[in-house]
Amino acid sequence: MTAFIELKNITKYFSHVVANQDVSFSIERGEVLALLGENGAGKSTVMKILYGLYRADAGEIFQNGKAAAIHSPRDAMNLGITMIQQHFSLVQAHSVTENIILGNVHGAIDREAADREVAALAAEHGFDIDPRARVGDLAVGVQQKVEILKAIYQKTRLLIMDEPTAVLTPQESDQLMKFVKNFTSQGNSVVFITHKLQEVMAVADRIIVMRNGMVSGNLRKADTDARELSRLMIGRELTNAAQVKTERAGGEVRLALDRVSVSDHGAVPSLADVSFEIHAGEVFGIAGVSGNGQQELCEVICGALTPVSGSIRLDGRAIETLNIHERVKRGIGYVPSNRHRDGLVMNMTMAENMLLKTSFDPRWLKNGFIDRKRLDAVSEKAIADYRIKASGPAAILRTLSGGNQQKVIVAREVDIGEKLIIFDQPTRGLDLGAIDNVHKIIRAERAKGKAILLVSTELTEILGLSDRYTVLYKGRLQGIYDRSALTVEEIGLLMAGYQLKEGGAHG
Amino acid sequence: MIVGLLSRAVLMSTPLLYGSIAEVYAERSGMMVTAIEGIFLIGAWAGFTGSYLTGSLLIGLIWAILGGLLLSALYGWITVFLRQHQVVTGTALNILAVGICAFFQRVIFGVPTTPLTIKPLPQLAVPLLADIPWIGTILFRQNILTYALYLLLPVSIFILYRTSLGLTIRSTGENPEAVDVAGISVVKVRFLTVLLAGIMGGIAGSFYSIGYLGMFADNIIGGRGWIAFAICFLGNWNPKGALIGTVVFGLAEALAIYMQSLGGQSFFPNELFIALPYLLTIILTISRRSYNVPAKLGEPYVKEN
Amino acid sequence: MDEKLRDSVLFSILAVIAGLLLSGAMLLFIDKNPIEVYRILFSSLFRDKYTFFDIFVKATPLIFTALAFTFTYKASLFNIGAQGQFYIGSVVAVAASLFLQQRLPGLFVLAIVFVLVLAAGGIWGSWIGFVKARYQANEFLTSMMSTYVALNFMNYLLRTILKETKGEYPQTNPLDKTVWLPKLVPGTRLHWGFVIALLTAILIWVVLYRTPFGFRIRAVGLNQRASEMSGINAKKLYVLAFFISGALAAAAGLTEVNGMQHMLIQGFNPTIGSEGLGIAILANANPIAIIFASALFGALRVGGLVASQVAGIPPSFIELMQGLVMIFVILSNFCCGELDRKREIRKLRKAAS
Repeated sequence: MTAFIELKNITKYFSHVVANQDVSFSIERGEVLALLGENGAGKSTVMKILYGLYRADAGEIFQNGKAAAIHSPRDAMNLGITMIQQHFSLVQAHSVTENIILGNVHGAIDREAADREVAALAAEHGFDIDPRARVGDLAVGVQQKVEILKAIYQKTRLLIMDEPTAVLTPQESDQLMKFVKNFTSQGNSVVFITHKLQEVMAVADRIIVMRNGMVSGNLRKADTDARELSRLMIGRELTNAAQVKTERAGGEVRLALDRVSVSDHGAVPSLADVSFEIHAGEVFGIAGVSGNGQQELCEVICGALTPVSGSIRLDGRAIETLNIHERVKRGIGYVPSNRHRDGLVMNMTMAENMLLKTSFDPRWLKNGFIDRKRLDAVSEKAIADYRIKASGPAAILRTLSGGNQQKVIVAREVDIGEKLIIFDQPTRGLDLGAIDNVHKIIRAERAKGKAILLVSTELTEILGLSDRYTVLYKGRLQGIYDRSALTVEEIGLLMAGYQLKEGGAHG
Repeated sequence: MIVGLLSRAVLMSTPLLYGSIAEVYAERSGMMVTAIEGIFLIGAWAGFTGSYLTGSLLIGLIWAILGGLLLSALYGWITVFLRQHQVVTGTALNILAVGICAFFQRVIFGVPTTPLTIKPLPQLAVPLLADIPWIGTILFRQNILTYALYLLLPVSIFILYRTSLGLTIRSTGENPEAVDVAGISVVKVRFLTVLLAGIMGGIAGSFYSIGYLGMFADNIIGGRGWIAFAICFLGNWNPKGALIGTVVFGLAEALAIYMQSLGGQSFFPNELFIALPYLLTIILTISRRSYNVPAKLGEPYVKEN
Repeated sequence: MDEKLRDSVLFSILAVIAGLLLSGAMLLFIDKNPIEVYRILFSSLFRDKYTFFDIFVKATPLIFTALAFTFTYKASLFNIGAQGQFYIGSVVAVAASLFLQQRLPGLFVLAIVFVLVLAAGGIWGSWIGFVKARYQANEFLTSMMSTYVALNFMNYLLRTILKETKGEYPQTNPLDKTVWLPKLVPGTRLHWGFVIALLTAILIWVVLYRTPFGFRIRAVGLNQRASEMSGINAKKLYVLAFFISGALAAAAGLTEVNGMQHMLIQGFNPTIGSEGLGIAILANANPIAIIFASALFGALRVGGLVASQVAGIPPSFIELMQGLVMIFVILSNFCCGELDRKREIRKLRKAAS
């Protein structure tokens, strides 16, 4: 029998990278196919081509052995293909029903009938969703269910999901896996785009590994193991994020938060009564599913947000009323998680980005003008020290790769953060070489006696680097723990909002 | 006097409502039609010229629609398909519109010795309704373009909120990616709403020339396109809000005309009343909390890079 | 980088030529020979000293209004109200000059008037920045509307307290020769305002690209959130940028009143703001390129005027030329972007194969 979908020699160029080159594989009926690879390996691109969002520069697609002309998502949907984007594609301001029927109705809309239809569909698949709820008000996990419902509403036979578990707690992920199993048992297919090996081993029937835009492996799960997959994915064997044994941090208290609260638009506090201390020479980790107050925590420390109550002290002096600029002067560096939005100006040069946070500092001035020689010298030094691949200080930041952009911001913040550096998801979207590099820098700065706050959704990163850590859930700390105090399962429960009690977890 | 003023206000509101409904539709799809002032002007000129040359107001109206359509198509092509800056493009087109109208006015009419005029759209009294005291005079002794609005307004509300087309338009301004992923062409939706703005804007512009003045002058629009643009903002991007906005501005304008007829050489600042709609826009822009602004208003949709 | 710059210059020139060609074609509608009209238009520019230097007389206020748009544009703000700020500058220039001209020596008066004009234009502009910062009021709308308010304010003054002593027309008394901006080239209308405009353009470039203040303006314009997260007070910059923008546009009022008209007449220079905007677009918002783009627009205006007198083409032909040139410049921006993209892809293909 011919494969449900067959991709042949797909090639795609973007203006800055070759996204896919000669990619060929098939998708069978009733299987869960994992598309495994590092960030930037071209997994999403090839699926977006299948879904008609991108057009391939070369290559063909066959359905049931027949050449399929897919020029738009509409064509793909008519063939029974649906794709859920990594960051979803929902209209936040509209209701669940409006999102589900978008593009699938004609003429006048009978709102009540549509609501009823969606409610019935949700009930059928065991989803607890109010069709009239505004999507923007729903938790991320629920938004994903809306996306899945939308696909089911379109009677899809192949569901492509891009990094679906990135926003979910371990428990929510399990639910999703159950749905996937159930969905494929009815003869439908699922493509799982992911970079997580454990996930692949848990759910996939077959695995396509991609590296640098090309297929580097096509295997049945039964015939392979994590070791082989990681070798195919990164070209070398994965070593476990080594826990470097170091002296217990014993420096004085550098940063102290005492009952800090931040209010979100008045109603729900996005940080509530957060208290912890970070010592000099200590890495303090913040684990948790993203969107639970991590960004607010970082911003309240760096000065972008003002707490409604509580105090923040740096070396014993209260800083909660100081603005960002004054805190920068006191030696607080901050590497934000969304570097494009919060940390960098993409259309400025590398040197100008180095200047961004300290443009008030007289050291950059000569006769009232910017001392360009000095700025260039500092930038050249950063390029050399951090091995940034850039043509020079005058390179426009946009032309650098993601990893090198991250190096620029890390170089700047390490320089600013003489006392404290906040790293919010510092390795998100980086390839393994770059991740390794960032980890080395964090360890080196810790060794210099700086206090480091590390926010990450990757548990291995938290456990590999932190001296102590906490879990954030809905703006509250779920206790503070030493590095080896808890198992991954226990942390997972904390991330989902459960409290740890003697002898197990309770809601 | 009050009835006269209100009746005049309805008259002055009419083109503004055409313009602002068009702008609401376009902006809901993410497109600021910043060429609206030029579209109004082209509409006024083409409407007048068409009517004058053919002697038919209907043909003039069709010319106005075609004129608006042409300019909006150019605007849409540059901003939607070529993804150029909406404000910059609109400004260039507004200047071009001034040049086109003045130049072709000269091409067609030469330098006339007496001012060119036509008989404007007649006032039609609706049987029975026009005899209702007060309201009859205010609402039912207007011209055909005003009456068309009585139908157009509810229809535009229905389409925007109760049909798949309206849902698509609203989604396009909020999250074009969602529309794209749902298999609908974002550029098509946006281009269509811009074309719609051209049609409606053309009618609105023609209202000034063939609707009641019966003549054309280079400064006939005098910022009214921008006021329609502003009303869309102030009316919170919905046709009902636009209605309230246009009535307020129509009143302000009727008041200004009335005051001008009183004021003469005195120190009385009747200029204040002429500036009233503009002052009003500023005050309302400052005081109005707009919470409904389409999330992706003014941003071109770029898929690949 | 070099290829990009080359493309951008080349395509701007092509755009200007295309704009002139298309508008020339329009002349066929009125049975004029475009080649003949353009020959008259361009040769007339060099027919005598007076006409030639008039190009720069016309360019002077345009440099200011183009700079006004550019300065806020760099902060990603839209000041569409340069026309109104120009009117405010004109009113203050004429009023202060008339009041002071009998009382103080001429150069002294000019210095005071200059400061007053900048301050008045700056304040008139900065409220737009202020309401943007304080109330998130859309600056595009408020600045647009402020022009009409300024216009009516000026008309009111011209009808009342500033009206000429004869009381005939809505215009002011002429200024004393003592408070005129001195002539730069004898026998022409070119005055020192042009030099001030040139120096201002260079100054604005230096401020934007060589000072921390200008750096912060550009940073806010390119990524407001990242700038604010970096400790830059964007709201303060909004007010400052609009102050400077308003002052720049008002300076055009000074050069027009004290340098050119030597009085204020109702309804004068009604397109100076939008032309400035067009020039800023043509110059890709580069202060130095603005000088050349202004000279081009000035030349079109001077040559167009002569051509309308000599060859009998309508004066609106000038707007037609300017509008079409702008449209083609916008189109050329698209072409440059596409060329750049294609070049990158070609490189990749080469590297891949």
